[in-house]
Amino acid sequence: MEKPGSTRNVGGIEENILAILDSSEAKDNQDAYEDRITFLEAVRAASIVPKDGTPPTYAMFEAIFSILRIGKSLELTMESFRLLNELDKRFPRIYSSDVDNSTSSSSVPELIVVEEAWYPFASSENASNERGATNNSGGPVDSSGFQLLIQDLADATDEANFQASETKTLANMLLFQYLINVLEWDFLPRNRIYKETMNWVVLRESLINMLLVSRKVNQKSLTKDCLTIMCNLYQTHAGFTDDLICSKKSVAQPAEKFDAAAAIALLEIGNNTCIAMQKFLVIIMELDVSKQSADIQGSTTRADGIRSPLLEIILEELTYNKDILDPFLQVFDEPKWKLEIVVKYLWKYIAKPSIRTRRSNGPPDDDASFNGALKCFSNITSAKSTIKKIRTEVVQLLLAHGFQAHLSLPCENLLVGDTSTSDGETSSGLLVEICENIISAFKNMKAADKRMEVLSLGKEALFTAATIVSAKSQYVTGQLQIAIGESLTRTEERA
Amino acid sequence: MVDMEDNFLDFESEDPLLTRPAVTKRRRKTIGLDDLLTDFYKEEDKIVEKEAKRAKARRNNDSDEDDNDKEAALFDIKTPPPLSFPELKTCRVLQSFMDDELNSLIDISTENVLYSSKENLRASACDFWCAILSFENEVDLPPVKIDWFPSYFELKIALENYGFLFNFSSNTDSAPSKVALGAMASAFAHERGPAPNIRAWLKFVTAACQKRNKMAMYLTSEAEELIEVIICLFSDRQLQGLSMLLHECMQSAISYFTENEWESSCEKIANSLACRVPKDVTCLRIVECISGVDTRSKLFRSAIAHQMLLSCYDHKAPNDEEILKLLIPVNVKDKKCDFSKMYIHLVLAENWLLSSQLVEDKPVLKAMWRLYLRNCSCLIASTDLRSFASKVRNKASYLLQGTITAD
Repeated sequence: MEKPGSTRNVGGIEENILAILDSSEAKDNQDAYEDRITFLEAVRAASIVPKDGTPPTYAMFEAIFSILRIGKSLELTMESFRLLNELDKRFPRIYSSDVDNSTSSSSVPELIVVEEAWYPFASSENASNERGATNNSGGPVDSSGFQLLIQDLADATDEANFQASETKTLANMLLFQYLINVLEWDFLPRNRIYKETMNWVVLRESLINMLLVSRKVNQKSLTKDCLTIMCNLYQTHAGFTDDLICSKKSVAQPAEKFDAAAAIALLEIGNNTCIAMQKFLVIIMELDVSKQSADIQGSTTRADGIRSPLLEIILEELTYNKDILDPFLQVFDEPKWKLEIVVKYLWKYIAKPSIRTRRSNGPPDDDASFNGALKCFSNITSAKSTIKKIRTEVVQLLLAHGFQAHLSLPCENLLVGDTSTSDGETSSGLLVEICENIISAFKNMKAADKRMEVLSLGKEALFTAATIVSAKSQYVTGQLQIAIGESLTRTEERA
Repeated sequence: MVDMEDNFLDFESEDPLLTRPAVTKRRRKTIGLDDLLTDFYKEEDKIVEKEAKRAKARRNNDSDEDDNDKEAALFDIKTPPPLSFPELKTCRVLQSFMDDELNSLIDISTENVLYSSKENLRASACDFWCAILSFENEVDLPPVKIDWFPSYFELKIALENYGFLFNFSSNTDSAPSKVALGAMASAFAHERGPAPNIRAWLKFVTAACQKRNKMAMYLTSEAEELIEVIICLFSDRQLQGLSMLLHECMQSAISYFTENEWESSCEKIANSLACRVPKDVTCLRIVECISGVDTRSKLFRSAIAHQMLLSCYDHKAPNDEEILKLLIPVNVKDKKCDFSKMYIHLVLAENWLLSSQLVEDKPVLKAMWRLYLRNCSCLIASTDLRSFASKVRNKASYLLQGTITAD
C-alpha cells in the first residue's frame, strides 16, 4: 500500500502532466478531447503502471474529477471514472492498521487516515461560501450538490424516453457511483473499528455521517429520490428486449436511428447505479445501527443531531407509495436488509399478540422474525384477519421476496438470524420449516379469499418451496440409503 | 442449500427444459419473475438461449444464398423460432411439482411454464451461472458438480450469431488530420450494432475464467484467442459504455493462465495482434486497453507495444537496441515527414520500455531511449504546425523530463 506525500519529483511530473491540458483548456473540439484522453493516460502511466508510482497531486485529482463531472463524452467519462476508482484502490485514503501487515504489536486495530488526501467532497464550510458555483463547475461536491445530483438523476430517469439526454445522465450516474464508492471505502473500515472499539468519534467523522448531518440535506426527500431512481431504472431494464433493438433499428430512419450502443450502455451503467444506490442505503442503515448503539452508550452529543433511521423512512415510503413496492423489492437484493424491510413491513399489519401468544410456547413473544410472521398465516382465520388490512397482492410480494432474501442469506446468518428456532434445530430444519410455512401461508390466503390470484412471483416462491421440501426429504432418504448401503457392505466384509 | 444446488445441476444435466416465450399469455408488462424464478429456471433459460442460437446457426449454415443469409438472420432475431421442448415432460423437478396437490393453486403445466421479458431472463440466467461458478468460495461446502459447460466454441457462436466480426478495422481512410483516437469501426456487422447479449457474455466469461483453479475450462490456445476477442471488443466504440465490464473481463482472462503459460501466451497474443491490427491509432488504442495495474498486465502491455513496434518495421530489427537505432534518426526537415507515424512509434516505444523493467536493466537502452526522446523534443520546432508535430514534441519532452527526474 503506497502512501502519498513522500514524493521526489511530483512537482515536475505535475507540471508536465497538467501541461497536456493547458493548451486546450478552454476549447471544446477534437484536439481538446484528445488532450484529455492523453492526460488521463499520462496520469495512469505515472501513478498506476510503475511499481513505485506516486499518487497524483491535488491539482491532478481535481483535473481528473472535473473531466468526470463535466461529462463531455462517454469515453472521457468512463476513462476518468475508471482511473479515479483505480487510484482510490491503489492509494486508499483510510484503512485499519491490521490490514497493513507491518504492524503487529497492537492488537486493537487502529484507523489510519492518510493526511491531506484529496476528496471529491467539499467540506461544508468551504461550500457555504461559494454555493452554486460548486454545483455547476467541475469542482468537488458538497452536501447540497450531492442532493442535487440525486434529484437530477430522479428527474432524468423519470422521463419517458430518457435515452435522449443520455450522455449527461450517464455521466451523472457514473459520478454518483464514484461518490458512493468513496463513501463506502471511507465508511467500512470506520464501522469495523467502531464495532471493535465502540469509539463513536471514528464514525462521527465518516464522510457519510458528515454528509447526512448537514442541514442542507433533506433526508426524507433524498430517500424518496433514491427509491424513485432505483424503481425507474428497474422499469427501463425490465422493458428492454432484443426486439426493441431490432425492430427500431430496422425502421429506415437514419436520423432517429435507435442507438443500440447507447441502450446497452444505459443498461449496464443503470444497473450499476442501482447497485450503488443499494450500497448507499445499506451504508446509511448500518450507520444508523451503530449510531443507535452509540446513543445507548451515551457517546453521542447534541451536535450529532437527530435523524430518523433510514429504515423507517423507507418503510413509510413503501407503505404510502405502494406502486414502488414491487420494483423496489425487485431491485433491492441485499438479503439481510431486504429481509429486515420485509419483516418490519409485515409486522406493521399482522394482528398482534393474541394469536401468537397462544401459539408460541417457549420462544420469546416478540418473535418478530420472518418465520414468526409466516406463522400468522398458519390458519385460515389469522390469514383472513391479516388480508383485511393488507391486500393479498402486497402480502404475496412480501412473502415471496422475504423468502428469497432468506434463501440468499449467507449460512452463518441463517443460524443466528432466527434465534427463536435455532435452539435445537439445524439451519436446514429451519429452511424446511420456512418452506412449509410459505406453502401453508399461500394455501390459507387462497382459502380465505377464493378470488385471490397467485402472482407469478408467488408461483415461483411456491415452486421453490415445494421443490426444496421434496429435495430435502429425498436427500434424507438418500442419506439413509447410503447409510444402509454402507452397513450392508460392512456386513458383507465381515462375512 | 448445497445439496440443493447440486440437485439443480443434476436435473439440468438430464436435459434442458423450457421457460421460454413459448407462452403467449402475458398479463403484466414488467414481470416480477426473475428474482424468485427458481434457480432451476435460470439455469435452464441459459441453455434454452444457447439452444436457440445453435438452431439459428444451423439454419444459417444451411442457407446457400449469402444475400438471403443476412436477411434471414436479422429476421431470426426479431422473431425467434418457436421453441418446443419435449424433454420438459420428463423433467423430474417439474414433474414432481405437477403431481403435487399444491399445483392446483398455481396450475403449472409444461405448456404453460413461467415467462419473463428477455433482458430480465438473460440477466437472471447470467447471474445464475455466475453464482454457480463462484460457488466454491464458500467454505465447508461440497463443490458443485457441473455436468455441462459452454465450450469456447459456444461462446464464440453466442457472439457470432449476433454479427460479431472478429477483425480490427483501420481508420486510415479518414483524413489524417482528423484521425481521432476513438474513431473505430464496430466489431459487429454494421446494420446490427452490438450484440444485445454482450453484457451477459462478458459477465459469464469473467466468472468462468476466475474458476481456473478448480477446473480448466478452455485450452490455452482458446484462452489466448478469447483475449484477442476481448481486445477486439475494446476497439469497438459502441461498447464504450461497457468499458468497466471489459476491463474486468480482461483482468479475469489474463488471470486464467498459469504463471508459466502466461509468458509465452502473452508473446503469442501480442504477435498475433501485431499481424492483424493496422498500424494507425488503432494499435495505440489496443495498447491502452491493457490496464497495467498488475505485473501480468504490465508484461502484456509491454509485449503488445513491442510486437507492434517490430511489425511497424517489418520485423527488421533483430534486438532491442536495433529497434531504438531505427527510431532515433528523426528527419523533421523532410517535407514528407509523417508525424502521425512518429507519434505512434513514440507511444509504442514508451509503453514497451516503461511498462517493463527494460530501461532499468539495460543502461544502453536507457541512453538510447533518452537520445531518441531528445531528438523528438528538440528537433521539432514549437512553431511547426504540421499535424501531430506538436503532439510528438510535447510527449517526448514530457517523457524526457521523466527520465531525468527519475535519476
